[in-house]
Amino acid sequence: MVELLAQTCLNALYAASYMSLVAVGLVLIFGVMGVINFAHGELFMLGAYAVVALYADLQLPFLFAVSAGLVFVGVVGLGMERALFRPLRNNPLGGLVASIGFLMILQALAVMGFGVRMEHVPPVTQEVITFSEKVHLAMPRLFVIIAAVILLTALWAFLTKTRFGWALRASAQDPEAAALQGISINQTSRIAMFIGAGLAGVAGALTAPLVSVNPHMGHSVIVTAFIVIIVGGVGSLEGAVVAAVAYSLVHTFVTTFYDGVIADIVGLSLMLLVLIVKPTGLFGTADRA
Amino acid sequence: MPRAVSHIAGWLGLAVLLIALPHALSFSQQEVLVFLTINVLLVASYRLLTLTGEWSLGHVVIMGVGAYASALYSKQLGIYVPVSIILGALTAVLVAMVLSYPLFRMKGFYFLIGSFAAGEIIRLLWKRFRDPFGGPKGIKKINPMPDLDIGVYSFDFFEPVSYYYFALAVVTLSLWVMWRIERSPVGLTFHAVHWQDKLAQSAGVDVRAYRTRAFMIASGFAGLSGALLAHYIGTINPNSFDVELMVFVLTWAIVGGTATFYGPILGCVVLSILNEVVLRELGFEQMRPFIYGLLLICSVLFLPNGLESVVQHIMRRRTNVQAAKASRAGDSARYNVEERTEP
Amino acid sequence: MSGHFLHIDKLVMRFGGLTAVDNLSFVVEQGAIHGLIGPNGAGKTTTFNMISGFYRPTSGTVRLRDGVISGLPMHEVARRGVVRTFQHSTLFAELSVLDNVLVGTHMNFRPGIAAAIFGLDAEDRRGARARAEEALEFFGLLDFTGELAGELSHGHQRALGMAVAMAAQPDVILLDEPFTGMNPEETKRMMELMFKLRDSGITILLVEHDMHAIMGLCDRITVMSFGKLLAEGGPQEIRTHPDVIEAYLGGGRHVA
Repeated sequence: MVELLAQTCLNALYAASYMSLVAVGLVLIFGVMGVINFAHGELFMLGAYAVVALYADLQLPFLFAVSAGLVFVGVVGLGMERALFRPLRNNPLGGLVASIGFLMILQALAVMGFGVRMEHVPPVTQEVITFSEKVHLAMPRLFVIIAAVILLTALWAFLTKTRFGWALRASAQDPEAAALQGISINQTSRIAMFIGAGLAGVAGALTAPLVSVNPHMGHSVIVTAFIVIIVGGVGSLEGAVVAAVAYSLVHTFVTTFYDGVIADIVGLSLMLLVLIVKPTGLFGTADRA
Repeated sequence: MPRAVSHIAGWLGLAVLLIALPHALSFSQQEVLVFLTINVLLVASYRLLTLTGEWSLGHVVIMGVGAYASALYSKQLGIYVPVSIILGALTAVLVAMVLSYPLFRMKGFYFLIGSFAAGEIIRLLWKRFRDPFGGPKGIKKINPMPDLDIGVYSFDFFEPVSYYYFALAVVTLSLWVMWRIERSPVGLTFHAVHWQDKLAQSAGVDVRAYRTRAFMIASGFAGLSGALLAHYIGTINPNSFDVELMVFVLTWAIVGGTATFYGPILGCVVLSILNEVVLRELGFEQMRPFIYGLLLICSVLFLPNGLESVVQHIMRRRTNVQAAKASRAGDSARYNVEERTEP
Repeated sequence: MSGHFLHIDKLVMRFGGLTAVDNLSFVVEQGAIHGLIGPNGAGKTTTFNMISGFYRPTSGTVRLRDGVISGLPMHEVARRGVVRTFQHSTLFAELSVLDNVLVGTHMNFRPGIAAAIFGLDAEDRRGARARAEEALEFFGLLDFTGELAGELSHGHQRALGMAVAMAAQPDVILLDEPFTGMNPEETKRMMELMFKLRDSGITILLVEHDMHAIMGLCDRITVMSFGKLLAEGGPQEIRTHPDVIEAYLGGGRHVA
């Protein structure tokens, strides 16, 4: 029993690590631009396809494919900022609707480029760390956990130690104040969008060998991300990480002891409950909506 | 009086056109026409929901509730199909009523996400519980409408033309009811709740009750459209009512515009025709989500008031000052029973 | 049983650690124009919001003819006969002037869905329209019936706000700073309308920052300062009350 618990916790840790990357990006975009990016799950998918194309098909090194995925999806994010969110800056609902439109476009492009079939990405390594007979952690999963910790630490350092990071956090509170520091809203929006999208992309790229890559994979990602950011509080980066860990634990345990669909239902109900009782989230204070 | 005559002539002309239309179309186009008719009801009901200012992302799941309920009532309980369709719609109303308790504690963006979550939960329940919902594969071999002979026309509901006439009658009646509601004091109160809920409250309006009412009525008609769909296609599953369909509904409503009654219907008809004539003929059917996404973005960016604003612009240029004055007097037709005008 | 018309009884409102209104009691007599004044931050708007049902008081009650109305949601307070207006020109800007006032008639002609579909509400619609037109005529707005409320001039928008409230046929109208931003001419016209409203049998309670504007208007004035009752009386009494003069002129010294 203890072993089953330990194994489930390890699984949850893995899920929490990539969901943190996705949710933190979503929160960052929402905080700075005030818009909910419905296409965030599809950015995750794009990252996964970058690995399919570069690593599985072209046989380039995995680390290169992942980095390319981060940059590529980040650049897609810049495009979204310029084409969609900037013209709709004073229209948050419009921005949301436009991102839904973009979601459809990305899905359709993925179908055209790769077909609807599931892509199989060969694992980077077959190695498994064995803690005991029934508790083990596959090496690729450990990579995801380590990468998430490194990236989130880097983000934290960027946000707290650099001038742009300060500006970003300031503009999440008050765009005017950030503008006074000589950093324009366009600049902070670009940075937030690049980082936010890039994090989704790198999460998709890192997990590509571990999941079934297909054009519709973004749906469950965005649903989970919504749960995480609502529970964590839509304005709070720390809340998103905490909620990602908490949600992954709940979800993984319910999946292990019941089944995945029930786990999804529990997760969504949890989110509804938070929305009813405390719409600003369990950890959040900011309320821009 | 000549205005009234031309009105009647216009409506008669439209009626003749709609009745004659399927006979000018191929079999597959007739099938599309049935779907279009059902979708018109769906998108019109969506607009009714948005009257109070809340945009839901769960509307097509509510449509699915009507579809599943009617399918199960007829299949499992052996209820006569036309009755089960009505019961299906009522079930959607009931589900909406239950959902309104949690959902209308939220507003704006939170309502949007909340309705999305509620819809996903319902879809997952269909997926999870094979009995009675059939799991991921859904319900198959749903009872069709029984044949009907009314003397002048004998309906064989496997024929798209027959089902089209049936759907057309149901949808026309539904649209008329929705129109009557919107042009009534109830409709005015919906608008009031949308624009200034605090001021409406100070006039004694129970804002939440009105939001709930709009939600329930809209859900009833969405459920009706779902039931119509289920008994036509004969098989439904959780993915028949997924986000993609919701995006289509959003696109119809936004491309058409939601300020007028006809806006979303216009959007639905225009895009469906575009889809059939352009995409299918060119063999681009697969591109539909892509085109819809692009249209959605373009209309948000470049045509924020939708196609209806283009229509209004043309109309305004055509009518003279005198007509403008007349329409201003008719502006408050909702309370003016003597000079009531029909759509 | 206090027997008073509108009785504000030991109202307290706390926001976190801050006590915005502290044990406030006063009485509004039927048919009066009653002013609630005080310097900025005195808690008068908070009091106003508690009476209208916008806030739920921390403790204390508001009673109308001995029925408790405090703690009820705003639409329930309205249904019991207390209707408020809003600061500035809060209207249904996108609706026509007539439709604005028709929303005001909501309580007396409660719309029904089934009746609307089958056309059984013709009499109610006629009644509501007549009531609305009556209210518009009262405020001299009959010529603007078909115009959008948002396109009216500032003064007319204020009048329309009061017409919406009047169409509800309340016992008490609560006016939130009705003179803000008005020039002397508009102020004079607004005062005439208020007298007219009072003479039609409606009790008026208004919150106002500017003391001088309401001296010639109110039958009775309640002055608040720092959340507490400072003074009460007729305009003459208040004008010469040393505490009031102190609060208004020497307010700066109290600001800590």
